[in-house]
Order: sequence, then C-alpha cells, then structure tokens
Amino acid sequence: MKKRVLTLALLSCFVAGSATANVAINGFASIKGGMTTGSDEQLYGYDDDFNLKNESLFALQLKADLGDKLSVTGQLMGRGSKDFDVGFEWAFITYELADNMHINAGRLRTPFYKYSDFKDVGYAYDWLRVPQGVYGFGFDNIEGLSFYRTAELGSVESTLQLVAGAYDGKATISGLEVDAEIKNIVGITWELTQGNLSGRLAYLTGKATVDAAAASLAENFTIGNLFATLSSLGLSDLVSSIDIQQEKGTFIGFGLTYDNGDWIAVSEITKVKVANSFIADQNNYYVSVGKRFNSITPYISYEVEDNESRDELFQPYQASLPMQLLAPVQGLVRSQERSAKTWNLGARYDFHPSAAFKVQYSSEKNDTSGVRAGLIAVGVDLVF
Amino acid sequence: MYRKMLLSTLLVCSFSALSNIVVIVNPANESSISAEEIVRIYTGRSNAFNAVNLAESAPLRAQFDEKGVGRSSAQLKAHWSKLVFTGKGTPPAELASEEAVLDFVANNPQAIGYVGADKVTSAVKVVHTIN
Repeated sequence: MKKRVLTLALLSCFVAGSATANVAINGFASIKGGMTTGSDEQLYGYDDDFNLKNESLFALQLKADLGDKLSVTGQLMGRGSKDFDVGFEWAFITYELADNMHINAGRLRTPFYKYSDFKDVGYAYDWLRVPQGVYGFGFDNIEGLSFYRTAELGSVESTLQLVAGAYDGKATISGLEVDAEIKNIVGITWELTQGNLSGRLAYLTGKATVDAAAASLAENFTIGNLFATLSSLGLSDLVSSIDIQQEKGTFIGFGLTYDNGDWIAVSEITKVKVANSFIADQNNYYVSVGKRFNSITPYISYEVEDNESRDELFQPYQASLPMQLLAPVQGLVRSQERSAKTWNLGARYDFHPSAAFKVQYSSEKNDTSGVRAGLIAVGVDLVF
Repeated sequence: MYRKMLLSTLLVCSFSALSNIVVIVNPANESSISAEEIVRIYTGRSNAFNAVNLAESAPLRAQFDEKGVGRSSAQLKAHWSKLVFTGKGTPPAELASEEAVLDFVANNPQAIGYVGADKVTSAVKVVHTIN
C-alpha cells in the first residue's frame, strides 16, 4: 500500500510537472546469457541450459527538474529474473542545499559498496557482473534520507554520504525467500580521491528482524516448529540467541581503486555481523585488475568468501539437548558456513558509442561443500 | 562553382580542426581556467560553469575527450552513466555544431565550450589551447 501511494505521488509529480518542468529521460539495458560448463553445476542462477533471462534487465529513468533546487527522480526497472515485472527501483526527491551538497529522500540504494549505486548499470564498469562473492549480500534498497557532500581538501577530493532509513522486503535464508526488516539504519560512507588513486570506507548499522519461521529444516519441520519446541522446553535463551529479532547488524566496507586510464585495479573488503543470530560472520573480499587496449579491456579478478558459522551457539547444549533437537539447531547454524573462492576472467569490448560487449568466465570452488562450478556468460550493456 | 569552393573550404576547415582545439568562454568571464579545471568541469566534478559539449558525431568530440579530458569517449560515457543513474549529475548539453557552441558561449556569461582553433571569433574568449 505504502509503495502504491509513493508510486502514485511520483507519477503525479511527473504528470503535473511535465507542462513546466524540464524532464530528462535516460535508460540502460543489459541483455546477458550464460550457461554452466558442467551438467550438474549451478552458479548465479544459471545451469547448463543456455539462459538469456536470468541477468538481463531494462530500466528507464525520469528526472524532472522542478526548479528552485528541487528535482524528482524515478527509476523503473524490469529484471529478467523477475519476469521483467516493472517496479520502482529508485524513487526520490533531491534538494540541492548548495553546489556541493544535496539531500535525497525516498527509495534509495543502500551504499554498502563502491559499485552499489550503479551495479545494475553494467555499461558503467568493465566486469560482466559485480563480484558476487562480495556483492551478494542483498538489502539493495532502503527507504530513507541521504545527505551527500563533496569537497576539496587540497588536492584530495572528498565525497561524504550519510544515510538513514529502513528496509522492508525479502531476504534469502538457506535458499528460501523470507520477510526481512531492518530498522534504524544509519550509515556513513567516505570516499577520498587523489589523482588516479581512491579509497572508500563504509560503515552501516541497523536493527534486523527476519521472519524465517517458514523455512524448513527437514520434512514437515520448519524453523518456526523448532523455536516453538525449544521454547516449550524452557530453552528460550537458546532461541533468542539464534533467532533474528531486532538484532544489531553491522556492515564495514573498505575499498581501494587505482585507475590511470590504461590500468585499472580495484579491491574491496567487507565484514558483516548480525549479533545474537544464527547468521554467520561474513568476511569477504575481491581483487580485480584490468588493462585497456583501445576499445578492448581484458580483466582478471579473484573473490574470497569466508562465512564462519557460529558453532559457539549450540556447543554449550551439546551434552544436554536431545539429538532430535540438537541436530536441527546444529544444522541451522552450520548451514551458514561457507568458504568459497572464485576466479573470473573476462573482457569488455566497446563496439559502439553507447554499448559494450562483455564476456566472462567464472570458476567458483566451494570449499565447504567441495563443489566446483564454472560459468561462461556473454552480454551487451547499453545506455541511452 | 561557388558551392563547390565553399564545400572544399569547409572540408579543409574540418580537417585542419583536427589539429588544434581551443577552450572558449564568454568575453565577460574574467576567470583563468587551467587544464585540470577543464577536466573537472567535463567530468562533473565542478559546476562552476555552464559547460557545453559537441555531439558524439562531431570528429572534434573524440579528440577533445582524449586530449582535453584525458579519457576515451567510451570511458567518459561510462563515467557519466554512473552520475546520471545515481542522480548525482547531468552531462554537459550536446550541441550539433561548432557554430552552435560559439553562439551559446557568446550569449551566456557562465558558458564554457570548445571549438577548432580556426573557428574562433571575437564574440568569445580563448582560455586554453589543446594541441
């Protein structure tokens, strides 16, 4: 309902404003296809049947300048993975406080990573996709406020962003889509650039609540059933140390970029923690190097995911808890364990002034399960 | 005959334009503008002036992107798409011809643009030359 009101309000802004306001329409699109290299392999939503839908997307952005430093921006996007159902990915108003300061209010991108803001605009970077080992966190958008300020500190350019808001939507836990809510999100990102070098720091916190009750642990046995059984045995302490009810979540990200026009090197390190929950502490990073040869940019990157399950949650109960209850608790906590390494090799080819062809081979080795998966993908990213 | 002469003059002009580019401002503009400031203006890091660009189809555009801003046209377009689709900036307006740029700069005190060195008129002021 809230969303519908927002949509209507924005639409009426565009319609009412169009007579006088200066409306700019831009768009971007990606058509990508891929398949895994082995019959039993799956990666990023692909299997060994060639699929052109999974990572394709189409977006249209309308920005209406209402004059007097006020503008309204809406970005409508349809993703192939969601059957190209169109929705507002972004919808916000912008008020310019000064030349180097503005405030955005509405639906915004959560600024976790260096490429968060434009990760869907494939044309803006060389990779076929942003490194999933780091960028696969979810919670892409928030509803809230963002303050943005640029400044020059001598020869260093500073970009500071403060955000506050909330997330109310879906999250994926153990492969199941569940309702998630993060309240009281506050965050700061600070990027410093000097010449070819830039560094970025991000820190965000929030109170996370995830309703994972419907996620099943075994046949006819859900997380909800488990928590109810444990509570009825007087083990509510255990339940509250595992469930995700108003738990403090923190995100820390650090990024470094070197780009001299020919060589481009990027690295990001992230750390995610959700206190008092079965969510594992996540420590991920990637390193990427590319070299531009006129219109062709080959690159190589390496991603590491290290999610260490919080075994200390069930260890004190190992002696006391009956096996039929210990096993699902242990299973739930251990399901978050993940250690994976991914190599990517690819190239961008600027074959047209507004479009780039991309090809990327990714090979992921999951050390937790011992499974390896290879994926070859090609695609075209364009802006208009 | 005259037309042919005009045409060949135009051709000569457009070829000679590939050698030198001049960055121009309105004569009323007293600022001195460095090469770094030009890069900042055309990458969206400075809003001090009302900048205009030549259309992508103009041969001078690629040359200006490469030598004036220091990035290929594709790199600059990728850079601007980051700003446009995150609501952080709008690229300089694109004008169809060098004449249109001269016109715009001559009539807007805050304007900055560029044309081939041979196209410059007294209605604008040259602040920087790119070889």
